[in-house]
Amino acid sequence: MAASISSSCCVSSLRLIPFKRTFFSSVNPPSKNLILRPIPSFLRTIVTFQKIPTGIVSPLPASSSPSSSVDLQPIEELPPKLQEIVKLFQSVQEPKAKYEQLLFYGKNLKPLDSRFKTRENKVEGCVSQVWVRAFFDEERNVVYEADSDSVLTKGLAALLVNGLSGRPVTEILRVTPDFAVLLGLQQSLTPSRNNGFLNMLKLMQKKALSLEVKAEEGTSESTTDEASVVEVDLESKPPSVVEVEESESVSNVVALGSRGMRIREKLEKELNPVELEVEDVSYQHAGHAAVRGSAGADGETHFNLRVVSDAFQGKSLVKRHRMVYDLLQEELQSGLHALSIVAKTPAEV
Amino acid sequence: MEGVAMKLPSFKTLSPTPISVASTFSIRRSFSFARRSSSLSAATITADSEPVSLGHRARKDFRILHQEVNGSKLVYLDSAATSQKPAAVLEALQTYYEFYNSNVHRGIHYLSAKATDEFELARKKVARFINASDSREIVFTRNATEAINLVAYSWGLSNLKPGDEVILTVAEHHSCIVPWQIVSQKTGAVLKFVTLNEDETPDIDMLREMISEKTKLVAVHHVSNVLASSLPIEEIVVWAHEVGAKVLVDACQSVPHMVVDVQKLNADFLVASSHKMCGPTGIGFLYGKSDLLLAMPPFLGGGEMISDVFLDHSTYAEPPSRFEAGTPAIGEAIALGAACDYLSDIGMPKIHEYEVELAKYLYETLASVPDVRIYGPRPSESVQRAALCSFNVEGLHPTDLATFLDQQHGVAIRSGHHCAQPLHRYLGVNASARASLYFYNTKEDVDSFIVALADTVSFFNSFK
Repeated sequence: MAASISSSCCVSSLRLIPFKRTFFSSVNPPSKNLILRPIPSFLRTIVTFQKIPTGIVSPLPASSSPSSSVDLQPIEELPPKLQEIVKLFQSVQEPKAKYEQLLFYGKNLKPLDSRFKTRENKVEGCVSQVWVRAFFDEERNVVYEADSDSVLTKGLAALLVNGLSGRPVTEILRVTPDFAVLLGLQQSLTPSRNNGFLNMLKLMQKKALSLEVKAEEGTSESTTDEASVVEVDLESKPPSVVEVEESESVSNVVALGSRGMRIREKLEKELNPVELEVEDVSYQHAGHAAVRGSAGADGETHFNLRVVSDAFQGKSLVKRHRMVYDLLQEELQSGLHALSIVAKTPAEV
Repeated sequence: MEGVAMKLPSFKTLSPTPISVASTFSIRRSFSFARRSSSLSAATITADSEPVSLGHRARKDFRILHQEVNGSKLVYLDSAATSQKPAAVLEALQTYYEFYNSNVHRGIHYLSAKATDEFELARKKVARFINASDSREIVFTRNATEAINLVAYSWGLSNLKPGDEVILTVAEHHSCIVPWQIVSQKTGAVLKFVTLNEDETPDIDMLREMISEKTKLVAVHHVSNVLASSLPIEEIVVWAHEVGAKVLVDACQSVPHMVVDVQKLNADFLVASSHKMCGPTGIGFLYGKSDLLLAMPPFLGGGEMISDVFLDHSTYAEPPSRFEAGTPAIGEAIALGAACDYLSDIGMPKIHEYEVELAKYLYETLASVPDVRIYGPRPSESVQRAALCSFNVEGLHPTDLATFLDQQHGVAIRSGHHCAQPLHRYLGVNASARASLYFYNTKEDVDSFIVALADTVSFFNSFK
């Protein structure tokens, strides 16, 4: 019934389910008593709830679909910290208190250095300005930083940062926006460009993926016992945001051009693979700077490779990738920009 | 007793004469406080000794205003974005579809003749509403934006040459900037922008100086949807005509709120949207002087706007048909006509008078809230503001403000750039909040807004 903000101006919209309507009225009495305790100040509310061990707050049964018939992603699939946050919000019934909780998160969000407030880091579709930055830590978990000039949006960003930071890419990519419903912040989940919250999550996932792809291509920069870091003249210009489609599994079959054919030939000849897949995904990167400026601009700049060969036997991942790159040196120097490689032995398949 | 859209009895046969259909309904109508001014005054007489304001009386005709959102009473303060519709307008739309829906201008049979009559009657009502001398000077479009595009593509492309100048202000709505950008790129014309003076109103002196022999068009708003200021259109037209330039007036925020007389203004083109003046969405209009329209080539091509069609060429109809390709939004046009009737019954001078008072009240109470910065001129003896305020609160993002107002207090305002990004850039802000009123708002609405605003500000301040 609440009228949604018209889409003529994009807005990061935030709605709360009024207390009476919430489908968590089935929450056990212990939590209810908690809420009814008189709370003198905003801060006290927050501190109180933070002290609650998760035991008191009754965890939702897996895949609970309360009033709506919509199947939500089960809470257990979420990264652990995000699960905690969701439960915390569920235990806070009163809308105003939820806001306070949100603002508290936002207030404690580590500020983002202004040099990271770039166009690439900006979330589309928000009247308020939101920036998100992502990078890997030593263990190849994604670390996020974010900021916004709107405190509510900052709170939402903080939720996501706290919930997703320090987790591996695969876990982050698995998260669907469903959990926003579980929070009781009735975020509109229609994937329109007006949805700031959804777009924030999407951008964070996109960045996580692109970190992964970059790492795959350039091999790990981390110091492993592989002392030799493969010197590949790939990212001479850092790519901007990877234009990955929403469903990464979409594979548009693109007929191989001359480069693609050359790659295939070379790999077949030198590696004698049992399986070989060469996929031209240049269209996904058509936007960013390196592609536009590439010499030999026949448009074939990005490929996914899947190679299953005995030649990889006994070699580490880094060494396998290095083998492939070495074979394709010529291409790499004449306009091939990046490769995403899956290299396995027949036994590993 | 609220004016609600009543379900009409189903008539199996329509009476032969068109008028009788209307009279059958008039009995019902007089019970809904909507239409006749006599019934309005009857209400006042029977009311308490305290005179009931226009807002209180009018509210009864708007069922949508009587609801709760998020647990609080709805306080709708976003009429500058779109207005609410009275029962009479909804009835007119329903009646059209229930009783005489038929394609216009083409058919011979009874229903289509009736539909055509009502459609053309609506055109006459609009013409009368703005005092156009001839209803053929009214072209129905989808909305004001399309109307401006019509002028840009039809008049602009055939009249603008390289080096010609089009004068706009930085406070224009995007619909009165972007089409001119597109057309100037195609024709080589140059856009010039009038900036604001220290009263945060477009600088009229600057505008006057900008007008030269090179000027071919001055396209400006009548009332600004952000600044609440008005421009002296009559004078601007005089200056423009002196150099042979035309004037297009964006009257979206003026036609719904005050008397607009195109003959008095002597504007060459004027545009407005139905949905801002109690009419439905999907219809708007362009007023253009006859001789101008006659000389303009078509905008969209198709049926209705033609005279004869051959395989290799076609001849075109006279205006306004020339610019109305395809089946029009018939029901919507008729409902717009009903909206014109509704507003005229109350009387535009009365509506304007009421809004001037409400505008002052809004401005004064809003200005009294600490840390609030309202954009546009201060109201005074010489300066009358429209009944809207775009503002920012120090240290609080308008989105946060609007969200909290909606969630905790049911107050509906707008936050964003209000389709005036250049203006916001000029003012040095990213976005602003805007509360806008219409004649169905009351002093109590303003009070609720201010209370809610104070609560919101203190809530967010406690987090600093």
